[in-house]
Amino acid sequence: MLVNRRGVLAAGALAVASSLLLGACGGSSDDDAADDSSKSSESTLTMWVDAERAPALKDAVASFKKDKDVEVKLVIKDFQSARDDFITQVPTGKGPDMIVGPHDWLGKFVQNGVVAPLELGDKAGEFEDAAIQAMTYEGKTYGLPYAIENVALVRNTALLPEPTSTMDEVVAAGTKVVDAGKAKYPFLVGLDPKQGDPYHLYGIQTSYGVPVFERNADGDYDPSKLGLGNPGGIEFAKDLAAWAKAGALNPSITADIAKETFNKGQSPYFLTGPWNVPDMQKAGLEIAIDPIPTGGSEPATPFIGVNGFFISAKATNALAASEFVLNYLSSEDAQDALFAQGGRPPALKASFEKAASDPIVAAFGAIGKSGSPMPAIPQMDAVWADWGATELDIIKGKAQPAQAWPKMVASVQTKVAG
Amino acid sequence: MSTVHAPRRRSFRRWFTALGWRHLVGIAVVVYATFPILYVLSASLDPAGTLSGSSRLFSTFDLTNYRALFDDPSRPYGRWFVNTLVVGTVTALGTVFLGALAAYAFSRMRFTGRRFGLLSLMLVQMFPQMLAVVAIFILMSNVGDVFPALGIGTHAGLILVYLGGALGVNTYLMYGFFNTVPVSIDEAARLDGASHAQIFFGIVLRLVTPILAVVGLLAFITATSEFMIASVFLTDPDNQTLAVGLFGFVSEQTSSNWTIFAAGAVLAALPVTILFLALQRYIVSGLVSGSVK
Amino acid sequence: MTLTDEHRSEDSGSPDQRPGRRGPWARLRRPGETDGLIGILVKIALLALVDALAVYAVFMLAAQEKWLVLAVTVVVTVAVNVVYLRRDGLPAKYLAPGITLLLIFQVFVMVYTGYIAFTNAGDGHNSTKEDAVTAIATKGQERVPDSPQYQLAVLEKGDDLWFLVTAPDGTVSLGSADEPLSEVEDAEASGGGKATQVDGYAPLAFEDLLQRQDEILDISVPVSDNPSDGTLRTADGSSAYEYRSNLRYDEDADSFTDVATGTVYTDGGEGAYVSAEGEELVPGWKINVGLENFRRAVETPQLRDSLVSVIVWTFAFATLSVVLCFGLGLFLAMVFNVPSMRGKKVYRVLLILPYAFPAFLSGLVWSGMLNTEFGFVNQVLLGGAEIEWLTDPWLARFSVLFVNLWLGFPYMFLVCTGALQSIPDEMTEAARMDGAGPWRAFRSVKLPLLLVSVAPLLITTFAFNFNNFNVIYMLTRGGPRFEDTSNDIGATDLLITMVYKVAFGTGTGRDYGLASALAIIIFVVIGVIAAIMFRRTKALEDIH
Repeated sequence: MLVNRRGVLAAGALAVASSLLLGACGGSSDDDAADDSSKSSESTLTMWVDAERAPALKDAVASFKKDKDVEVKLVIKDFQSARDDFITQVPTGKGPDMIVGPHDWLGKFVQNGVVAPLELGDKAGEFEDAAIQAMTYEGKTYGLPYAIENVALVRNTALLPEPTSTMDEVVAAGTKVVDAGKAKYPFLVGLDPKQGDPYHLYGIQTSYGVPVFERNADGDYDPSKLGLGNPGGIEFAKDLAAWAKAGALNPSITADIAKETFNKGQSPYFLTGPWNVPDMQKAGLEIAIDPIPTGGSEPATPFIGVNGFFISAKATNALAASEFVLNYLSSEDAQDALFAQGGRPPALKASFEKAASDPIVAAFGAIGKSGSPMPAIPQMDAVWADWGATELDIIKGKAQPAQAWPKMVASVQTKVAG
Repeated sequence: MSTVHAPRRRSFRRWFTALGWRHLVGIAVVVYATFPILYVLSASLDPAGTLSGSSRLFSTFDLTNYRALFDDPSRPYGRWFVNTLVVGTVTALGTVFLGALAAYAFSRMRFTGRRFGLLSLMLVQMFPQMLAVVAIFILMSNVGDVFPALGIGTHAGLILVYLGGALGVNTYLMYGFFNTVPVSIDEAARLDGASHAQIFFGIVLRLVTPILAVVGLLAFITATSEFMIASVFLTDPDNQTLAVGLFGFVSEQTSSNWTIFAAGAVLAALPVTILFLALQRYIVSGLVSGSVK
Repeated sequence: MTLTDEHRSEDSGSPDQRPGRRGPWARLRRPGETDGLIGILVKIALLALVDALAVYAVFMLAAQEKWLVLAVTVVVTVAVNVVYLRRDGLPAKYLAPGITLLLIFQVFVMVYTGYIAFTNAGDGHNSTKEDAVTAIATKGQERVPDSPQYQLAVLEKGDDLWFLVTAPDGTVSLGSADEPLSEVEDAEASGGGKATQVDGYAPLAFEDLLQRQDEILDISVPVSDNPSDGTLRTADGSSAYEYRSNLRYDEDADSFTDVATGTVYTDGGEGAYVSAEGEELVPGWKINVGLENFRRAVETPQLRDSLVSVIVWTFAFATLSVVLCFGLGLFLAMVFNVPSMRGKKVYRVLLILPYAFPAFLSGLVWSGMLNTEFGFVNQVLLGGAEIEWLTDPWLARFSVLFVNLWLGFPYMFLVCTGALQSIPDEMTEAARMDGAGPWRAFRSVKLPLLLVSVAPLLITTFAFNFNNFNVIYMLTRGGPRFEDTSNDIGATDLLITMVYKVAFGTGTGRDYGLASALAIIIFVVIGVIAAIMFRRTKALEDIH
């Protein structure tokens, strides 16, 4: 009896140990199965997608499987780590064959040699020029675009039926609505209380002639020419402070709060992108899309973000990957499906025209035509932190525009230079 | 069990000095501990809400978010739940076992390098883990070439990685606890002819049951909430854990499903709570009280 | 859990009748008995299993020619066998399983970090030289301007692959890697006008293309006898384009030459091809740079600017976090450690909840609740105050500690609750009878005993908080920034977040080499401190 009991004890303890080993054991006996899977891996493709894209790609994946007998495994990767994981995993040869992402990842991808060029050939003409331009880096095309996004000024027409064009007019009109007691905030834009949001404010900034980097003759951004230091910068910074004082820019209003507040009808204006439109409509708002208001004398050119598909430089199945991206994902059906799922205006002209029957999509698209692609150069990484924090300090009234802006420019300059 | 010492209510004052103030402290600290969680719970019951702003708590009661969790085949919440339980349970068992073995050796045996070993264990824990994820990925993808069942994407591999940390803080915790069990107990046993294994499994382990339960619970929590390594390791939605899968709801570029995420997090806290309830009697039942001089 | 359950079932008599420690002991007493037969058999079986797996691994590794890993595997396996087959060396038998896993995973991370610290690894130097050459060569392939897009069918003759291409104007040509394109007349065409077949050549189906894709993607078919006219290449097996190479790689000289300008790029010794003017080709590759990263770590001006205040805050944060979490955890554990108290189970469960919630969710919720204008704390609890919880330097420090306390006290509460069980009440009671007040009784009796079990844990908690990247990044990202520095460093930055910002947020991007060097420097600093603290615990350890 006693021996047995101890035996039970010992066995119980060792059971834990052996259960650990069991996995390994399975590994060795699965020898043949493993070989099979490595063989069949020649006819599978792996693609990293974000969770929202995955359902929209199901049809394209199914027809590829049907036509070519190649399975595409959609791996859901969270957006925030996808870029860096792709860069670290591709060189090991274990990374995915394809990845979905915004074009501004491209600079890092090329810098690290992890993305393969993609010749679109005659298909390039079927896409919006801006989309192809964004997918082009140092003269080579690397990705197949599927969506173009940019911010615009969304106006609650119930509160303000008429459009206005300059930022000062916007603030004045918004303030009037607030004074009339119909709304709480004259103007909304989501600001991160930790790091500001230069992305959303960029359109306004460019109207002062202050792009983040200057572009050279080919349209590429030139990292050696920081545009932030242009003369209009301080002017912009001063106006930021003034608008903040007028209550139009509020550092406590995060993107989520801005969205919630606008959807409750508490503000006539919301500077945002098409991604928030579905919820506005769900909330029953009547909205119109206006161009980005200007502050300076030049046109406002917001950032355009182009999303697309990229192929790994070390794809184990490069031929199938190219076939899938070039001939399946470029199809009208696939691009329609992606639009239906995410509401991002399609990059394929034919799909965009269909989508543009919705005046809101059309309006965002028209405003995007005046925009410029978000710089994909790796140096952008060195810009965001200072740029955002300085704008935030100015908005909070913690920094003097005339000193803080040039200081930020100098700091960015040093970081870009490395 | 608690009837023996239950005080008669002779007066409120007496009751208050003995127990009442404890309830006041308890209530105060429960408020501190739970009100952010009530906030999450409230958000999870409101399909139109967000996690920011200060909308009134529990202004709506709507289970849409909870239903949505189980409706989306591309985000198999049920599977994540099961995966999390499997990974958490096996890791917890393994951690307790490996940690107890090591703690026993450190606490009861005197050997060259013992202090050094303890110190090294501690130092290893202090290493900044900035490159851990990259290193583990490289390591495990190579392991996967030899043992596919342990490679990237497998639960077994992930558990093994977690067990790599079994000898960390947990061993320390158990080691400290083992030290409080008088050596005279094992010495008496040894004189009676018991083997080291008998002393370990038969005597010491049962004297330290509370800490085994604590370590098991801590290891379970750590393994189930670990995100960095799991997110690189488990890429197939069907074998992800809750931490990884749930994060997908809020890591999108422009759209976040905060409220569904909140609902998922509320449910995700259930296993830990239930496990704690189940283990509580081991942790605090005073199995050893009175047995140690 | 299994173990405890076994114990319970064996011990299933009511707790009141438990005969104390004599009970389990008396039952186990079997003079002269050593490990049972079952134990030995299990041991042998497990060892056999380990050895079998190791042998398998060795074969696999030999096949893959990974000699270093193979050597490590052999050494580990032999060591494990020696440990368990030897009669002596009892401690090793208990330590081996955990230590092996620890060595494999934790120590590997350290070794890897150490290795990276001596390289230039980071953005732009991400892989091997071989990969870099391939990437540069691919980038150098430029499509011939205004050249047409060809429809392509890949054919096979013998072992050779041929490209059958149809130009937009309908001309059909055939060529291979060795044979420039020449027009063919007798090709069979599909419905769309694309030539698919020629007599004497076998067309490849899509599966065949996949099987031979490496060859196919490598083929470049000269357009004419003149190589500078360009070559045809394909990416998908169904269309082909004319390319010309802008950059020619010369294997012998290990250099790239720009065909248009004649600029020569050579391996400059710093992990990249550089021209005489200093222009670099992207990407570069990973090389060993010796102590360079450590030199930079010490000299980086961004680090020096605010170093003192960051170090002071890092220590303050780590120390206060430990003291507060332990203090509150211990206090609560004692408050609820009264057998007669009702509802303590409920309290305990509710107190564990902060720990059971995903930490990043808690961080986000707290950061929302502490929002100046809209946060729950200001709006509801403080009736609309506008306190800058996260944006005023001192309040931000306070908030970070406050949230970290919220995140951390349940852990300490749990540990202390467990630890208190080993301290019998009789001891305190004895002290009380000797006339000591409750506080003194606690301080002189319970606390020392408790510290025996938790002191080492406090040190590791200190270390954990020293490197507590997450809580800082979730709440403040290190901000608010110091006003006297142009760098992105602020009032709540810990050393580890500062390292992150410096190594990953400047110039050319992520610099893993620098990050590793800084991580090692931090590790040395904190390791020394911890080792000193650890020596102090020796006194505590031998209390019995």
